[in-house]
Amino acid sequence: MVTLTEAPRYFSRYRRIIPDFSDFLAHLRQDLPLYFRLNNLKCPDPSLVIEGLERQGVKIRPVEHMPLFYRVEPRDFPLGNTEEYYLGYIYPMTLNSALPVLALDPKPGEQILDLCAAPGSKTTQIAQLTGDKAVIVANDRRLDRLTALVANLKRLGVASALTTVYRGEEFPFGIPFDKVLVDAPCSGEGRYRQGYEGELLYQKEGHTNLPAIQKGLLLRAFDLVKVGGVVVYSTCTINPDENELVVDYLLRKRQAKIVAQQYPQKHHEGLTEWEGKILHPDLRYTARFFPHETESVGFFVAKIQRLV
Amino acid sequence: MVKRKKARRKKIHQQAVWPRVVSLEERDKVLSFWEERFGIPKTAFDGYVLLSTSKNYWLFVEPPDFKPLQGLRVQTVGLLFTRRVSRFLKPTSTALQRFGSLATKNIVELSPAELDRLRRQRKMSYQADLSEGYVIIKCAGKVWGCGLYVSGRLISFLP
Ligand SMILES: C[S@@+](CC[C@H](N)C(=O)[O-])C[C@H]1O[C@@H](n2cnc3c(N)ncnc32)[C@H](O)[C@@H]1O
Repeated sequence: MVTLTEAPRYFSRYRRIIPDFSDFLAHLRQDLPLYFRLNNLKCPDPSLVIEGLERQGVKIRPVEHMPLFYRVEPRDFPLGNTEEYYLGYIYPMTLNSALPVLALDPKPGEQILDLCAAPGSKTTQIAQLTGDKAVIVANDRRLDRLTALVANLKRLGVASALTTVYRGEEFPFGIPFDKVLVDAPCSGEGRYRQGYEGELLYQKEGHTNLPAIQKGLLLRAFDLVKVGGVVVYSTCTINPDENELVVDYLLRKRQAKIVAQQYPQKHHEGLTEWEGKILHPDLRYTARFFPHETESVGFFVAKIQRLV
Repeated sequence: MVKRKKARRKKIHQQAVWPRVVSLEERDKVLSFWEERFGIPKTAFDGYVLLSTSKNYWLFVEPPDFKPLQGLRVQTVGLLFTRRVSRFLKPTSTALQRFGSLATKNIVELSPAELDRLRRQRKMSYQADLSEGYVIIKCAGKVWGCGLYVSGRLISFLP
């Protein structure tokens, strides 16, 4: 666990790629803003939720350019204890976490694999965006986390998902997926801030080789999607070894194309060089989102098309 | 500690085999119950199929082809929709929370105080001009789930 005083040293490796580095460090001292996604599959009328929550003393305002997302103040309000949560009308999530699914652009009738799905913030977002009419295969290697995913699917009233517990690298072939989302396990550096209770996985003693796992997952995802189909790879970390270098690996192994994508949040082009290593030039079409510029968790998103 | 983990595991593994895809006739029978009891039109479930496990029906989106999906070792498929209780069909609270707002009849509107009492006591005396059977429990515009109205009493099946 990195303490706040250690943060400048820990993140100094990224000084060159994080814009306004001192603003970034200062921002880590703030609590993460609180947002939720409204579940339009279940909630007949948004005012039911907004007025219900406001009666409990919070201020709710819609997020510009992000339909169904709302910001909540104060940011320490326990959304998870509310009736609105219990009835599945809301899903608390940080804004940038919604971006990978926007890049995936799921459509009704498609067959979609969410390879690392638990606890399901993105699976349920896909269900909502498709009106619960795409076939969603929601997979996670960990059964304990899958239990949380199953509970969220039930809470939100999703009928279009089935769940599986495979190691993503071994997910069976045979289903012609139109799209695959790889929201990969990562070091979580983008989530880091004061009072952060998780841990930066990368720093853990005897740490697992995350880039190797991520490469395996992305390669499998690519082989699972049909020709012409789309794979979205995302992480909530700043580390290029887990982001551009993983996608670069895929581009060298397979015939893939990075697809440029518009996002409703401020972002920067992906890196085409890191620590002296020259990467595929199209990596500039991937996107980096920084906490201090977006008031959210740092994210990386790559939209990839299978050519052959 | 270990014991609890085991129980959980079992619960989630109950569907490790694929549930049966029900025939159109059987699907129609179940949807007719929803239509007759609650006035929810069958068209509300267009694009969905029903799957069956030993005592339950599950609602699942109709895939282009079932065959490839049936090759997967699945944990759950779709939304728990309706239970078979002896000869009767019983809607689940999960499904009512999702589709109950489309209902036109057999709805019980409770005040927040009444809802609170029902959730605590599980049953209470209640008089209404309703036919006996399963009802939709609503409060302040929100569907909470399933109840049973019988002999002047309301029994809660809320989760
Ligand atoms: C970033 S989290 C996913 C969050 C989720 N997509 C959401 O939006 O709610 C990464 C997930 O990957 C899972 N995971 C880790 N290694 C995996 C593997 N080899 N195959 C499949 N899932 C894996 C973890 O259990 C974890 O739930």
